[in-house]
Amino acid sequence: MSDFHLVRRADFSIRRLIICYAVGILISLGIGALLLSGLGINPFEYYKRMLTMGLIGNRYAYKCIEGLLKIFVPLLITSLALGLAFKMRFWNIGGEGEFLIGSICAAIVAFNSGSMPKIVTITLMCLAASLSAGIIGLAVAALKVRFNTNETLMTLMLNYIMLYLIRYLGSTKAPWNFFLNPESERPIFGQFADNCKMGGIKIGNFTLLYSVIAAIIITVIIYVYLKYTKQGYEISVVGDSSATAKYAGMKVGKIVLRTMFISAALIGLASGLATATAGTISESITNNAGWTGIIVAWLAKLSVPAIFVTTLLISVLQYGCQAAATQYPAIDSNFADLLQGIILFSVLAADFVATFKIARKGGQEK
Amino acid sequence: MINVITMFLFNIVVYNIALLYGTTGEIMIEKSGSLNLGVEGTMAIGAVCGYIAACRTNSLFVGVLVAFLTAGLTGLVFAFLTVTLQANQNVTGLTITTFGVAFYYFIGNGLSNSKGGWPKLNDTTLADQFRDVEIPLLSKIPILGKGLFSHNILVYLGIAIAVLMWAYFAKTMPGLKLRAIGENPGAADSAGINVTRMKYIHIIIGSGIMGIGGLYMGLNMGGTFEGSNCWINGYGWIAIALVIFANWNPAKALLGTLIFGFFNTLRVYNATIAYNFPNTLGWLNKIPAQFFSALPFIITLLVLIITSISKKNSSNEPASIGRNYYREDR
Amino acid sequence: MSAAIELKGICKNFGSVAANKNIDLSVGKGEILALLGENGSGKTTLMNMLSGIYMPDSGSIFMDGKEVKINSPESAGKLGIGMVHQHFKLVERFTALDNIRIGMGKEAGTIFKKDTTRKEVLDTAAKFGFNIDPDKYVYNMPVSEKQTLEILKVLCYGAKIIILDEPTAVLTVQEVERLFDVLRKMKSEGHSVVIITHKLNEVMDISDRVAVLRHGEYVGSVETKKTSEKELTELMVGRKIDLNITRPIVEKTHPLLEIRDLTVKNDEGAIAVDGMNFYIRGGEMLGVAGIAGSGQKELCEAIAGLRPIEKGQMIHEGESIVGMPPKKILEHGISMSFIPEDRLGMGLAPSLSITDNMILKNYNEAKGIFVDRKSARQEAQKTIDKLEIVTPSTETPVRRLSGGNVQKVLLGREIKAGPNVLITAYPVRGLDINSSYMIYDILNEQKKKGVGILFVGEDLDVMLALCDKIMVMCHGKLQGVVNSGHTTKEDIGLMMTGALNIVNKEGKTDGIAKDSAIEEKKEEGHV
Repeated sequence: MSDFHLVRRADFSIRRLIICYAVGILISLGIGALLLSGLGINPFEYYKRMLTMGLIGNRYAYKCIEGLLKIFVPLLITSLALGLAFKMRFWNIGGEGEFLIGSICAAIVAFNSGSMPKIVTITLMCLAASLSAGIIGLAVAALKVRFNTNETLMTLMLNYIMLYLIRYLGSTKAPWNFFLNPESERPIFGQFADNCKMGGIKIGNFTLLYSVIAAIIITVIIYVYLKYTKQGYEISVVGDSSATAKYAGMKVGKIVLRTMFISAALIGLASGLATATAGTISESITNNAGWTGIIVAWLAKLSVPAIFVTTLLISVLQYGCQAAATQYPAIDSNFADLLQGIILFSVLAADFVATFKIARKGGQEK
Repeated sequence: MINVITMFLFNIVVYNIALLYGTTGEIMIEKSGSLNLGVEGTMAIGAVCGYIAACRTNSLFVGVLVAFLTAGLTGLVFAFLTVTLQANQNVTGLTITTFGVAFYYFIGNGLSNSKGGWPKLNDTTLADQFRDVEIPLLSKIPILGKGLFSHNILVYLGIAIAVLMWAYFAKTMPGLKLRAIGENPGAADSAGINVTRMKYIHIIIGSGIMGIGGLYMGLNMGGTFEGSNCWINGYGWIAIALVIFANWNPAKALLGTLIFGFFNTLRVYNATIAYNFPNTLGWLNKIPAQFFSALPFIITLLVLIITSISKKNSSNEPASIGRNYYREDR
Repeated sequence: MSAAIELKGICKNFGSVAANKNIDLSVGKGEILALLGENGSGKTTLMNMLSGIYMPDSGSIFMDGKEVKINSPESAGKLGIGMVHQHFKLVERFTALDNIRIGMGKEAGTIFKKDTTRKEVLDTAAKFGFNIDPDKYVYNMPVSEKQTLEILKVLCYGAKIIILDEPTAVLTVQEVERLFDVLRKMKSEGHSVVIITHKLNEVMDISDRVAVLRHGEYVGSVETKKTSEKELTELMVGRKIDLNITRPIVEKTHPLLEIRDLTVKNDEGAIAVDGMNFYIRGGEMLGVAGIAGSGQKELCEAIAGLRPIEKGQMIHEGESIVGMPPKKILEHGISMSFIPEDRLGMGLAPSLSITDNMILKNYNEAKGIFVDRKSARQEAQKTIDKLEIVTPSTETPVRRLSGGNVQKVLLGREIKAGPNVLITAYPVRGLDINSSYMIYDILNEQKKKGVGILFVGEDLDVMLALCDKIMVMCHGKLQGVVNSGHTTKEDIGLMMTGALNIVNKEGKTDGIAKDSAIEEKKEEGHV
């Protein structure tokens, strides 16, 4: 064993990487199949059902697409936002918390909107959500820049503080608490008025929500931002080598603050859109987008097009598991998380195989 | 009234000792320079496997062993990915959490739908092994005795682990070597310490300890807890916070468990206490339960910020934490 | 004398760069061997292979006649090899005793035997004449004490072969004396000592034998008694080779950059540049020679505005640039490129494309919010064509280019900015001959355009052939400026090692760094 050691591959081939990833994913599905068989379920039937998401032979197929998109949109924006911070090597793992505070602030607008027109209320909701989340992100970044406080742990703590804040709001009957449904005896969150609910374009029975359009636009904007703008350029330089960034005369602290504000604000925006789509708030409004987004961003190696594709695949996985649960009651949507975990493990390993090789000591290489 | 205090003390210990397992396990891992955010998932895996094994064999010992081994296996995955394959620790840890919790539901749902749910603890010999054991003399102390010195065997084991781990770090050679790795793996390496092996061993043992904590959660719930929440219910995350609060010291983790446990218990019992002591503690009723739940995280956040602002060398955070070690990096 | 350790045919490559080529070396028992060589000659790499940090690509190591494998510091330690690294390997938050204890095999798996280890450590310390407080924390120790601890550590581990990588670089004269006493004691105890150093007087003072490396190759070894500083210098720098590098003579214009009494500290807070005085004129190439770590890096960083200065003046075309941000200095026309030892750390973003690296310093000049990649790509293509950079495309990440091409990218960018003062440090570091010549041509072309160039280099032959004047630094101090037409390699070698200082020498105009003409010029600037 000690005769071998690891050597970074000098060459890089995208083909090898893709092959490694594909093998990794196949192995993951294989492990999933074993688990399914253990429960006495035919894995092929299950996977078929999962990957088609119950679309085939379904009169309400359009509802499936709508359901898929409801998972897809917030996850996409959140993953992009997290990718933005990771690209700068800033460990914002506070997606959940930023999402929740955004949702709370969007709801504040929604419950106090009176009879303003829809476009105004929803814009205000998104603005409130973005700003509130952005300020949290900015505060974390400021502490990191000024005092080098550990951002991973800070954002982690904030996730839970926000979670309990929303739980508090959702379970406290009080005259000031406009979040709750006044009719209900038990404390439950109220529903938004119609002017605060996300609308969409009707295509037959199918409703294409404006939030989907917004998400696509945001994806394009972030793609352009990262690839073509000066600020995006600065992010990649800072992330690649902050010594070089300083050498080039960039103000690294300022860039970190700005990027982290944008990252958190985008998560807030995702939250605003999701809240308006749901028409209410709840502690599960995030649908774990803050956590899953980290995995998505990493799987996609922080590339915007890859994040788009990966989000789509993960959404299919998640929604497919939900859809399959109707036929396989023994397996709920958590199976998606399980597979997701295994897939990430194998992809991390595949990454390694693609970038390192094992060399024998003693000059046999080459 | 005295009963209330005793019960309160008892509950602080009995409902929060899993936190001590999670924390001490994470301290062991962090001391080796790795930040494992997979505590929640590791505990969940230990809980599921350990609990089922214990119920099947009717043996607490087998349960503890299986919990330790399966969680240790999870640790092995973490070690393999981060130490050998140099994968990012944050992502790997979070994935372990996602995976572990999903695994809990996967097994849990599989059981509850086809085989009548999690095995129950009531009236089994297993429950008998899990009963409270009174410590002679100490348990006779009025008020405190029943509250603090009459607990099940896993409570004592958890405390023993914390104390032993403290001694391990402070008084033994391997403990000293481990701390050296966490501080400066390059220095440890050049002193002839096998960094990779030490990291593997301690990540696996630390994860195993977390697993016992998970099993404890399951046993304490008696397998009855089938709500939408996982047995671990966020304790893994509190454990990560507690590591910081305890300043990476297992002995302080014991104290921290009692403090965090105090808030946690207050959350459940604030109404009872306010009712029993209306004049002095009646105000407790006004504090929302969620505040107590959030308190560990708020306190830890403040600790994080304050220690980083006061640049004194007071934090014991291992200096190399979160960074992978590759010898040939210059 | 029988050999304690023998190296045969050791080779080590980092990527395409050969750090060690087929090296044979042996160290006798009870011998102090000085390993001598210029910066980048592969001394540290070679010793790192003995201490288990790197593994050789080929070759074998023998101890007491038997072949051994050293694949980790652990196995090196077991074989009785200990190394004191230039950058100390100490746990800051431990006491001296704990730092030693972690490597003592005996106590493994046990509860501390505090007293026995303490006694052992103190005994060893007493035996070799160290004065150390075992309970002092490393973070409270001055540098010399840390080094003492490192040496004591290695001795306590029972090392019979002790390697010291430039141990005297951080010590005062008195401390060096004390260190040498210790080394002599080690020798009398039968230990073998390998000391890496550049300082010839120390080599003469302490060593029994001197082995010389040059450009990764073993040149030979001589007995210290039978050699002289002059001979060693020759061995180290090699005989003068005619390199056929052209040195165009260009009309020198007025002084562009003048440095006066410049003092700069390094990251550790020690004085790195100590009262330097010099100037660069347009159309002139001024070489900077010196042993590695003599303050070259700090000097470059200070001029580029990346490092605050302690005192002194830096005047560029009559205007002080002290305290200006890097960007301002760049806009003034001073461009700096520094190739650090890892070659990618400073000045380039390795994961980004050539195009993106081209615009690192001027991306902000484009109007609007977008980076102007279209013209950047053209510029990149122009640079690629002009400097013959071998790359699949302008969009290839710099990380994937070979060393020479990486350096061309860096230099190409600096030139593109159209500076009138170009500071370039180690531009040919790790390059093969052809790539190096290409770089020299690029620099000469700049010189012809009237640019003033500060060339920080390693290879004296190259500097003698290429530069108009050579300024020699030693320990942050100016040793003198010589005209490369009227000097010898040996003189420069002696100046580099501190044996010769011509700054205050009368009647040798080449050696004077302060020019009276500048004096007037500066007065004008102030009026």
